[in-house]
Amino acid sequence: MSVFWTAVALVTALAVQTALSLIGPGWARILDPFLLVVVYCGLKGGETHGMLAGAAAGWMQDVHFGGRVLGLAGLTKVLVGFGVGLAGTRFQLTEPGARLLVVVAAVIIDALVLGQLARAFDVVTGSLTLGGLALRAGVNAAIGVPLFALVERRRWRWSGA
Amino acid sequence: MARGLATNKSRLLLAGLVLGHLVAISRQVDIGDGVTLFERWLFALFSPLQGLISGGVDGVGGTWSSYVSLRGVREENRHLRDRLAVTELLLQQRTHQAREAARLRELLQLRAVLPLETLVAEVIARDGVPWFRTVTLDKGADQGVTLSAPVISPNGVVGRVIRLGPDAAVVQLLLDQESGVGVRIERSRVTGVVGGQVDSAGQLTGDLQLKYVPMLADVVEGDLVITSGLDRIYPAGLVVGRVRLVRLGAGLFKEILVAPSARFDKLEEVLVVRTPLPDVSVTETVQ
Repeated sequence: MSVFWTAVALVTALAVQTALSLIGPGWARILDPFLLVVVYCGLKGGETHGMLAGAAAGWMQDVHFGGRVLGLAGLTKVLVGFGVGLAGTRFQLTEPGARLLVVVAAVIIDALVLGQLARAFDVVTGSLTLGGLALRAGVNAAIGVPLFALVERRRWRWSGA
Repeated sequence: MARGLATNKSRLLLAGLVLGHLVAISRQVDIGDGVTLFERWLFALFSPLQGLISGGVDGVGGTWSSYVSLRGVREENRHLRDRLAVTELLLQQRTHQAREAARLRELLQLRAVLPLETLVAEVIARDGVPWFRTVTLDKGADQGVTLSAPVISPNGVVGRVIRLGPDAAVVQLLLDQESGVGVRIERSRVTGVVGGQVDSAGQLTGDLQLKYVPMLADVVEGDLVITSGLDRIYPAGLVVGRVRLVRLGAGLFKEILVAPSARFDKLEEVLVVRTPLPDVSVTETVQ
């Protein structure tokens, strides 16, 4: 996945997140399109690509939707991108089931790391209940896994043409 | 191998990104009083180094400052020492002037009560022996001093002028064995002659010897000895001293020692009597 397509994906995620925040704040808290981009970049490009995409995605999220302290989401997404990339280079994560687990794990790790960082830096963030976390993980996985498959099919089609 | 290098690079990148993020975040976290967490971390990280540098600089600066101060102190010390020397000199001068003023005041008081014409003179030289016999005054014939003029001090009779110059005069002290003053015991009116006393080695003892006092004369220790005026040199009634010792002599006369009233060792200013008058009684005033 090239830098260009990563940028396109991030801009798209920004657009989706913006749209969701306009439609309903609840949806914006549940679905994290930036995280889906980071997970996909990590899976396809490895830890370096995942980290860089995570940094960019996190900072976009921080700047547009973050609180008074910028960088929390950036650092979180860097760690998530690195972890997913590391996993993607060591395990065969092309099956939908495996990717679903990766997305779920990524969502949980993202939430936990963000919470810990916020606590460490004494930054007040919205609390997320266990049910909310599960819903978030489920929604992101339900949307992300088919989306990954769709993107790969498109890319395969374009590269085949 | 390539995979390992890539992993190492990615880990370095991860570390860099994490560190960068931590810095970026901490720069924004205000821990109060406008101080960010980053500043606090940086302060905590570099303050020991700063302390070390500061200590070193302070040490060098302190040493230099001490050196400069020491030089300054040395100069100041020298300057103060000079000033102290000048001040001590001034103090000595002032003390001397004060003592001189006191002595002159005494002389003036004596001069005021004496029914004699007197002249204040300063002692400018003495004999160089422990018990000197003469002193030199700064007044002479040009100032009205005459030969054999009596010289007195606020304490008592000093002596008489034996040599005269235009601006100086030599005074023979009562201590001189060759001197002679007609005296009288104030209490019993017994008369005699006082002169300097010498010991067996011919040295002046510092006492006066009252001579020619008969064995039966009423003289006791402590009696006041005054001039009698019979010698036609010293006016009568001037204090000479007090009887210190009375004992039987070898011949017809008593052996009497008199402690002189005048402090010969501290003479500085004296009064020279210009016109000695016989039969003048000033015993009470001199006392």
